[in-house]
Amino acid sequence: MAGVVVRGPFPPRRTWRTVAANVFRYLLQGAARSWARNLGGTAPALGSMTLLLLISGVVGVTGFALYNLEQVEAGQASLLHVYLRDDASADDIATLRNRLEADPRVAGVAYTSKDEALQRAKRIPGLPELTDSTDSNPFPASLDVQAKSIDDVAAIDASVRYDLAVDPVYPTSYDRGAYQRIQSLLFGLGVAGLAFLGLLGFVAVSVTMNSIKAAIHARRDEVRIMQLVGAPRWMVRGPFLIEGAITGGIAGLVAGAVTFGLTAAGITGGSSAFAQLAPGVTFTVAALAALSVLAAGLLLGSGSSLISIRRHMES
Amino acid sequence: MRPIANSRPIVRFHGVTRAYGSRLAVEDVSLTIHAGELALLVGPSGAGKTTLLKLINREIRPTSGQVWVDGTAAHELHASRVAELRRKVGVVFQDYKLLPRLTALENVAFGLQVSDLRVSDDEARERSRDALEAVGIGDRAHAFPHQLSGGQQQRVAVARAVVAQPPVLIADEPTGNLDQDTAWELMDLFEDIAAWGTAVLVATHNVDIVTRLQRRVLTLVQGRLVRDQPAGQTGRMAWLASS
Repeated sequence: MAGVVVRGPFPPRRTWRTVAANVFRYLLQGAARSWARNLGGTAPALGSMTLLLLISGVVGVTGFALYNLEQVEAGQASLLHVYLRDDASADDIATLRNRLEADPRVAGVAYTSKDEALQRAKRIPGLPELTDSTDSNPFPASLDVQAKSIDDVAAIDASVRYDLAVDPVYPTSYDRGAYQRIQSLLFGLGVAGLAFLGLLGFVAVSVTMNSIKAAIHARRDEVRIMQLVGAPRWMVRGPFLIEGAITGGIAGLVAGAVTFGLTAAGITGGSSAFAQLAPGVTFTVAALAALSVLAAGLLLGSGSSLISIRRHMES
Repeated sequence: MRPIANSRPIVRFHGVTRAYGSRLAVEDVSLTIHAGELALLVGPSGAGKTTLLKLINREIRPTSGQVWVDGTAAHELHASRVAELRRKVGVVFQDYKLLPRLTALENVAFGLQVSDLRVSDDEARERSRDALEAVGIGDRAHAFPHQLSGGQQQRVAVARAVVAQPPVLIADEPTGNLDQDTAWELMDLFEDIAAWGTAVLVATHNVDIVTRLQRRVLTLVQGRLVRDQPAGQTGRMAWLASS
């Protein structure tokens, strides 16, 4: 055989367009093609990740609503209603009010008459029937004391409950431990939710890592050749990272859309009840939740791939 | 063409040892392979031939000693720069390692483009076609690997290994799956490649090739380089020249 003739250096045609075309073909197109080819192996990862993200989205929106609810409760818990005797004299009431206003722990004091208390009660669901069933007004007048800190409410309650102007039978609205019970319940729910999400996240990451491991195994010859001909590391690893991101992105897209749909359905269908149960949850919040779920999907997918690549691909 | 005494050294080993646990796969090996030289690496199974080849393209690091490839210190190369070294080393395997879904031309072009993203499609196609013609299968450029014989597949693998014109070519038992005639054709090809200035190192078990080719022979036994016979001093009477 005659001597091997391999041409000398090729005339330079090296432009960013060529690099971009090659990156697109070998990195993005290659990853998409491989992802489609391995769809059977990727399906469990896609399913578990979609489920995780959907639950995360719903839990996220619920958590946001609970946080707002807690803020409302905290505001109400730091407002102490001091109920006045029906026969309390104006002087006694004024003395009590002056004493409260001088108290450094108190942010403000407002007076609510019996008529105003009745009107307020009528706005509370279920109470109008009760108020209409009797001719007399059962609601007492009150001094509504806004405490500076929720921690001071108990002390303020103790300082007023034996006052001459105060109703001895039902002196204040203070319910020892009510706010703490709400806080404990919310904390418990939060911890349980996070633990559940953590477990589901672990499953989703493990399944995704396994699917990427399978993809690496399926393309081991290609990977080996790329490594041996001197392809840069990012070129060898990139397609698998993108495969993971595609899985996470699709899972995030589906879960985000469902999260948005469920929240939007709640907002439009639930009207006032939804507003009371989930204060602050609006269409903007729903859209932000959906976008967050999508971003979490992309991060989760590519992150899982990265771990798998590091574990299963030699350098 | 014979290696020129003062030609440029391409591969240099200085006291290289590679251990796997307590077992020494390669022990205190020193050698130099020059540009344009074809050297044959022989030895029984487990002698360390494959390990020595892997040290050249930095698939593994030496436990001690230095490995230089075309001026690059492979022994201390950071993982992020290994790809640069591998572009200097063409590799041929016994089992060809061609991608079954690509044609011969695409297999060669794939290797060229993934190692250098600046190579356009036109350039990759043209250079790959040249390489395939050079190895004698230009007419089978559009055949898929399963449509080619073993010898033809190995030629495609050689074309892929040399298309980027690396200064060194290593081949691990490249004739292992080929009949004797095809093996000889492949060795002719390696001689031609060396004649154009590439340092070629071929690990082989094929005694007939070793004795008849009259090229430099490096003999490894239990990881030690026990004999380094210069070209023209091989064959049955070679022991006369060795101490």
